[in-house]
Amino acid sequence: MQALSPSKLLSRFGAAFMAIALDVGGMAVLLYQILRCLVPPRLDGMETWRNLYKVGVKSAPIVVVTAMLTGAIMVIQSGALVAQFDAFGLLGWGAAFATLREVGPIMIGLMFSGRVGANNTAELGTMKVTDQIDALRALAIDPITYLLVPRFIAIVLMMFLLTIVGDLTALVGGAYTGQVLLGVSPSLFASSVIEYITLEDLFNGLFKAFTFGIAIAVVSSHYGMTTSGGAVGVGRSVNNSVVASAVLIFVLDYFITSILH
Amino acid sequence: MIRIAEVYKYRGHECVINGVNLVIPQGTQVGLIGPGGAGKSLLMKICAGLVRPDSGSVLIDGTEVVGIGDVEMTSVRSKIGMLFQNYALFDFMTVEENIGFPLRQLGGRTEEEIRDEVNRLLLAVDLPNTQKLFPNELSGGMKKRVTFARAVIANPPILFYDDPTAGLDPVTSGKIFALLEERRARGGTTSIVVSHDILGMRDICDSFVLMDHGRIVFSGTREQIEASTRPFVGQFWRGEADD
Ligand SMILES: Nc1ncnc2c1ncn2[C@@H]1O[C@H](COP(=O)(O)OP(=O)(O)OP(=O)(O)O)[C@@H](O)[C@H]1O
Ligand SMILES: [Mg+2]
Repeated sequence: MQALSPSKLLSRFGAAFMAIALDVGGMAVLLYQILRCLVPPRLDGMETWRNLYKVGVKSAPIVVVTAMLTGAIMVIQSGALVAQFDAFGLLGWGAAFATLREVGPIMIGLMFSGRVGANNTAELGTMKVTDQIDALRALAIDPITYLLVPRFIAIVLMMFLLTIVGDLTALVGGAYTGQVLLGVSPSLFASSVIEYITLEDLFNGLFKAFTFGIAIAVVSSHYGMTTSGGAVGVGRSVNNSVVASAVLIFVLDYFITSILH
Repeated sequence: MIRIAEVYKYRGHECVINGVNLVIPQGTQVGLIGPGGAGKSLLMKICAGLVRPDSGSVLIDGTEVVGIGDVEMTSVRSKIGMLFQNYALFDFMTVEENIGFPLRQLGGRTEEEIRDEVNRLLLAVDLPNTQKLFPNELSGGMKKRVTFARAVIANPPILFYDDPTAGLDPVTSGKIFALLEERRARGGTTSIVVSHDILGMRDICDSFVLMDHGRIVFSGTREQIEASTRPFVGQFWRGEADD
């Protein structure tokens, strides 16, 4: 590769910085526009139902399976240590603490960004490049209220609800694995959870899920609505959307964890 | 009436709409012709307020649409019907839902009335028994006819048809042109028709505008265009290759 002159390097750096600033600015404006439509609620009822169904019902199985396995993995990981120190009474706490506060929201957030977010970007992007968004606007329909607000509500609400479902199934998976692998009875597992896990642990994780939901909804909608350049452009947008959502999830997690600690 | 004045639009440094001035009087049908990439579709989107020009003014029935927000545009848009060149059918809706959508959004009609109107239009465009199909189950020509039906169902006083007969066989294409003519003859509709089918368009437009490279190079009636001595105009009208 040819060495770049300092001025070229600087201009490339500048261009990249401008592109990121443009995306971040676009997302902030989009979030504002969506929130403005929420008070008082202005949205299409039919579209909202359709999206709630699509996002929620169709994501539930995959969330249940991943959560169940996550709970099991937490127990397997801590199993050796638990057995070594004869701390069977702490197994439930260990698995639940990590799952509720951290692993659950992150795992489900990443699942969501890969499944629901990518789908959202692809759908909106395709609508954009095939003029469907313009067709809506030509009919005096605001794409934000008609398309984006229902998706926002569906993604944020379902991310939140499915994290609760995921937390529960992870605990079931953990309890089951604990019994099979370490002989820890489910009642001992449960009592350890009830005794040591506070509501604060639960709410901490749910708050994260809520913000991840907002992030996924806004990022995926932004990349969808700014798609250009045919099928290739849709592919590029989906890619950007998934990467940006994942990065944002970790960044938000870092800040929330450090602030709430 | 549509009045376009000094409209410019750039893509990067390239000027894709280059100082266009155009007046379309109330109740007339204008044929917009020109080679591929001349800027016909883009000019139409600018007229419909879907794309904002970099400078210039677009007046629709006396309302300036350049620079106003989507909310203020609502009253102007309710007067406009648009047939998009690449269909722009909502792919999550059936044919029936697509066509009925503008009426449903307007409100004030029962589902029954909407269904009847949709069925009537589907017959007119020769697409019976396609109500329950989705756009991805249709051929290009079928999609074109569905978009046509969606554009005209609410009887808007202003209509933009972007290539309404692309991909249609000669018989169907003749039917669509006849429907355009019928609408024009009824009066009251101001419209722009973009098409490469000059033979089909000759008799259904009050005047013609020829575009090339983002500029209007000729505008006038059929007689004027046929009498033009400018080589490009004559060649384009008669579809001769230049050598
Ligand atoms: N929103 C836009 N902003 C800037 N430039 C655009 C925009 N949309 C299209 N263009 C450019 O305008 C030029 C004219 O495109 P347009 O689609 O209007 O051609 P056309 O005359 O309709 O051609 P065809 O007969 O093939 O449909 C192209 O170079 C295109 O890249
Ligand atoms: Mg075109």
